[in-house]
Amino acid sequence: MRILIVEDDPSLASGLGRILEAEGYAVDLTSRGEQAVEAARQERFDLVILDIGLPGMDGFEALRRLRGAEHRVPVLVLTARDTVNDRVHGLDLGADDYMAKPFAMPELTARVRALIRRSQAQTGPRVTHGPLMLDTVARRAYLSGEPLELAAREWAVLEVLLGRVEKIVSKESIIQAVAGWDEELSPNAIEVYISRLRSKLERAGIKIRTVRGFGYMLEEYKAPVS
Amino acid sequence: MSDRSGDRTLRGHLLRQLLLPVAGILAVSSIAAYYLALDPATEAHDASLIDAGLALGERLRTSGGITTLDLPVAAEQVLRTDKYDSVFYVVRDPSGKAIAGDAGVPLPPKSQRPQDSSVLYNAEYRGNKVRAATLLAPCAGQVCTIVVAETTRKRDRLVREILLGSVLPQALLAVLTLIIVWFGVARGLLPLQRLSDEIGKRSARDLSPIGTEHVPEETRPLVGALNQLLLRVEESNRNQQRFLANAAHQLRTPLAGLQAHAELAVKAAPESARSELAQVHAAAVRMARLANQLLALARAEAGGRLEPPATVELKALVEGVADEWVHRAMDRDVDLGFELRSVTVQGDALLLREALSNLVHNALEYGARGGHVTVRTGPQGERGAFVEVEDDGPGIPAAERERVLERFYRAPGTPGTGSGLGLAIVQEIAAAHGATLAIGEGPDGKGCRVTIRFGHG
Repeated sequence: MRILIVEDDPSLASGLGRILEAEGYAVDLTSRGEQAVEAARQERFDLVILDIGLPGMDGFEALRRLRGAEHRVPVLVLTARDTVNDRVHGLDLGADDYMAKPFAMPELTARVRALIRRSQAQTGPRVTHGPLMLDTVARRAYLSGEPLELAAREWAVLEVLLGRVEKIVSKESIIQAVAGWDEELSPNAIEVYISRLRSKLERAGIKIRTVRGFGYMLEEYKAPVS
Repeated sequence: MSDRSGDRTLRGHLLRQLLLPVAGILAVSSIAAYYLALDPATEAHDASLIDAGLALGERLRTSGGITTLDLPVAAEQVLRTDKYDSVFYVVRDPSGKAIAGDAGVPLPPKSQRPQDSSVLYNAEYRGNKVRAATLLAPCAGQVCTIVVAETTRKRDRLVREILLGSVLPQALLAVLTLIIVWFGVARGLLPLQRLSDEIGKRSARDLSPIGTEHVPEETRPLVGALNQLLLRVEESNRNQQRFLANAAHQLRTPLAGLQAHAELAVKAAPESARSELAQVHAAAVRMARLANQLLALARAEAGGRLEPPATVELKALVEGVADEWVHRAMDRDVDLGFELRSVTVQGDALLLREALSNLVHNALEYGARGGHVTVRTGPQGERGAFVEVEDDGPGIPAAERERVLERFYRAPGTPGTGSGLGLAIVQEIAAAHGATLAIGEGPDGKGCRVTIRFGHG
């Protein structure tokens, strides 16, 4: 996994780089927007962490050029400015996520993991989450290598949750993703599917958290300490 | 209207300025009218009194040293007959003895005794005010005194007529003038009143110029000066905002770097240095949070802002930040729940997010470990909205609720390392949105519930 960090503050850039290297990523650093666009054109990165406040070509312009060149590489935008416009502008230009400085490092690494996982889910047929693996083409699920029986609705709910690990997925958006055109699904039905999924997945250490009054969140997989 | 405020009102000022000249003109014109009209009229009456005296003088007869008045009854009748007044007379011989008429008719005071001809004076007779004329008439080589007096009904009547005919209209005119000023000022100042109403209704953040099309010509310079001032305030606000944005940027990037390196150092350090480095890391995290809070506070109170107010949907706003809160809630083993209904308010989404994050942060920090925190939002009343955060922790004692809104104040016994800025920021942001902040208890009087109520959406 290769990450390009575009940040002009040398201290933050080196700190980020070393933290991500410690997580097992290969990291390249640059402090200029022009160089970032050039590097992304020539080489393949799994993620770009892009600061907005760069000297010369700013992060917005670099992002525009990256997307203009049809690069689908996930981009996590960092900013020290706090205006809603920055956030909206960044997301409009095709940023995949957005973090305001200063940030807690565990949160950054969690978002990096989520972005890379999401982009792989979009590109490849196989989605993994700890011991769980979904083959989206064959529509088969495996848990610790064993085939896992999932009803069609359970599969659909799990797919939605896997697409947004560590993020709350509202009940409404699960209903929208799961229900067909001519069906009415009650929130209670979703609860039933969630509880069935839990009974199938929890023994393998995969947790689905209920966020009261809002929805569900597939927690990050933590290997059980044996 | 009290005297003090009267001093400062335009109406009071105008009235005082007018009152003296109007009263003066009224007095002068009344006196002038009185004397110009009354003098000739009374002079005519006085002349006829003297004529009557002279006529009586003609009737003095002297024979054998005794003077008598030869006045036939018919003639006396004529003398005494008057349409309005009673007429009295007395004739005294040189010795002063009354020889005819009403002996009691008063003589003029000594100082006014006539030397050769006649004197006119006011006196009283039989309980009536009288006007009298005293004349000297020759009799038997000496001087007799003739006094003719009449009551003053005619004269009083004349005075009344003059007063009614000329002074009263003038007095009415003067009173009318003052009344017109009284109401005219209020009426004339109506545009000013409307102007001040318009300014009064503005929010503290509205620094747009006042429209000049509906203001009267006379107030244009005032409105112009106000608009100049508004422009300058807005400019200085903008400068402050720019400064804050730059300061934020300059502060946050190195803080992020410091946090990153402190974290690396904690992991890489030998056991002996680890706890010190953990302190460094904790301090960096706290400093970052404090910097964020100070910047948010400054931005909330700066009045103006970089972005115009927008329609903010509170349910979506909460859902947008819920991810960040849930992880913190998981760390503290708190059940974070939501009861969200759609509602919109006008405001600054970023500041509202900051306010909510502070409330949730507080609830997670100071609520019970393993407890419950609930975020609610929805419509309130006709067009209002509310958002509240409730926990089931120890709560804030009623006596402390006022003080916890003060900057840097931390209630006694508060755990953790907070800055004491969180609620002050929430308060400031609520105020900037014309919203109110209320601190209360959770259900069953347990825990803490903080509610922000917005007036209208």
